[in-house]
Amino acid sequence: MRDGIDDLLRNGHGSTAGLLEPAPLAVVDQVTKAYPRVTALSSVSMTIYQEERVALVGPSGGGKTTLLSLLAADLQPDSGSLTVAGRTLAQKLSRRELSSMVGIIHQQLDLVPQLPVVHNVLAGRFGQWGMFRSFLSMVWPQDYTMAAMALEQMGIQDKIRERTSHLSGGEQQRVAIARTMVQAPRLVLADEPVSSVDPGRAHDILQLLTSLTEGSGRALVASMHTPYLVQQYFSRAIGLRDGQVQFDIPAAELTPAIQSDLYSLSHPESDPPWH
Amino acid sequence: MRPARLFLESPHFLTILLLLAVAWSVTNINWGGPLLHTNGWQSALTLVLAGFMPELSPTFLLVCLRAAWQTLAIALTSMTVAVLIGFPLGILASGGLATPGSRFQMPAKVGARFILGALRSIHELVWAVLLVAAIGLSPLAAIIALGLPYAGILGRIYAEFLEDVQGEPLDALRSSGASNVQTLLYGRLPMCLPDLVSYTFYRFECSIRSAAILSFVGIRGIGYEIQISLGDLLFGQVWTLLFVLLAIVALVDFWSGRVRHSLLTS
Repeated sequence: MRDGIDDLLRNGHGSTAGLLEPAPLAVVDQVTKAYPRVTALSSVSMTIYQEERVALVGPSGGGKTTLLSLLAADLQPDSGSLTVAGRTLAQKLSRRELSSMVGIIHQQLDLVPQLPVVHNVLAGRFGQWGMFRSFLSMVWPQDYTMAAMALEQMGIQDKIRERTSHLSGGEQQRVAIARTMVQAPRLVLADEPVSSVDPGRAHDILQLLTSLTEGSGRALVASMHTPYLVQQYFSRAIGLRDGQVQFDIPAAELTPAIQSDLYSLSHPESDPPWH
Repeated sequence: MRPARLFLESPHFLTILLLLAVAWSVTNINWGGPLLHTNGWQSALTLVLAGFMPELSPTFLLVCLRAAWQTLAIALTSMTVAVLIGFPLGILASGGLATPGSRFQMPAKVGARFILGALRSIHELVWAVLLVAAIGLSPLAAIIALGLPYAGILGRIYAEFLEDVQGEPLDALRSSGASNVQTLLYGRLPMCLPDLVSYTFYRFECSIRSAAILSFVGIRGIGYEIQISLGDLLFGQVWTLLFVLLAIVALVDFWSGRVRHSLLTS
């Protein structure tokens, strides 16, 4: 079954780039984004390769969430360009194209609480469905096996028919990851995936997110706060402060000292380094 | 030195003046005869006392049951018509189908709102008079007469409920590639379903009362029987019919409570 979902995730995307020769998956080129009062990102550039797991670190307001929103195409940059899997995000992309390029898991999970779990998972397939299938799925869930396999990998296959609001916070987080799993985007984005969970669950979630991107020509970008979790689960750490890249290092080199520096240089009203 | 206060400036003077004016007005108004007509108190008392002695003979109860069934049937069918017309119009009026800012959104929204407004701006009794004149005294006239204005009311409220649904789940659906129809089906609708259902039940209750009232244009039902009994001064029968109406409304209220409860918890 586990092999099944992995095949499923791999298919439809021809990329089989080897680990030795990583291919660029996302290119952020000179991107600037300003809000009425503050500049959230100023001329940020970075290249994210397949198989990479990138942790964005830095104080709140440093630009992490803005960068994730830009990569998710929820926002458009003021200048510069973002490219994912060879397609510029500024282009007029269809729902189908965009949903196979990037998928984002928000901090609040954003599931529809009144729906059975299966529909919240299958929301990841909406980009691929037409109107007829969408109507049909209400009474006869489409791509049911896909949802069941994703939930099985999350270890909550027995909840598939349950009302989502009846699930615990941890189970809901798994549903949100399962949604992204059936969506199967090349670039998986996660906004503060472990900022409000206990340490045990943080490990669970990061493991699941890691398994989502492993060996499939994908990449993960997540905003993080805790250095030892970054060291353990990520391959690369990018420090953002005041809308600029402060450092871009292998995750193993992200020591608490480096991160403290990143925070202490920032404005006094920013968040403390340890949550 | 403080200037001496004039008598006219004293607050007590104003109070006394006003009291005098009130006393004068009471003695000077022409009440136009007694408040109740001759024997008025007697008839009012008879009417109230009849409430303790409702007519319970089997033949009359059968009449009540039949009338209740007619009224309930009219209410239920007209509500079905109202939902069938009001729901699609409500979805259009909420602007939830078209892409925001597209050139179809505003015309669809404004058009649907105009139709809904036109439907509900005419009272059901006026619809009934018009329809009875057009197609005669039939249950069909009653059903359409109730169904049209109720469709206008339901559609308007549905549109508002659907429009008011907001929040991150909808944004998340859109950003994972959901179309407007998908966002409606799997976001807006399930999120406000309990509100839609409980408002529909509330309107169903109203439609039972309205169906009873339609007897004033001659359509059969509880209201029709009340009119006949009242004409014969059989107050016991009137009360029995009123109790039956009360029972139906209470039953619908109970039913709606159960449905809403199961929607919120299942």
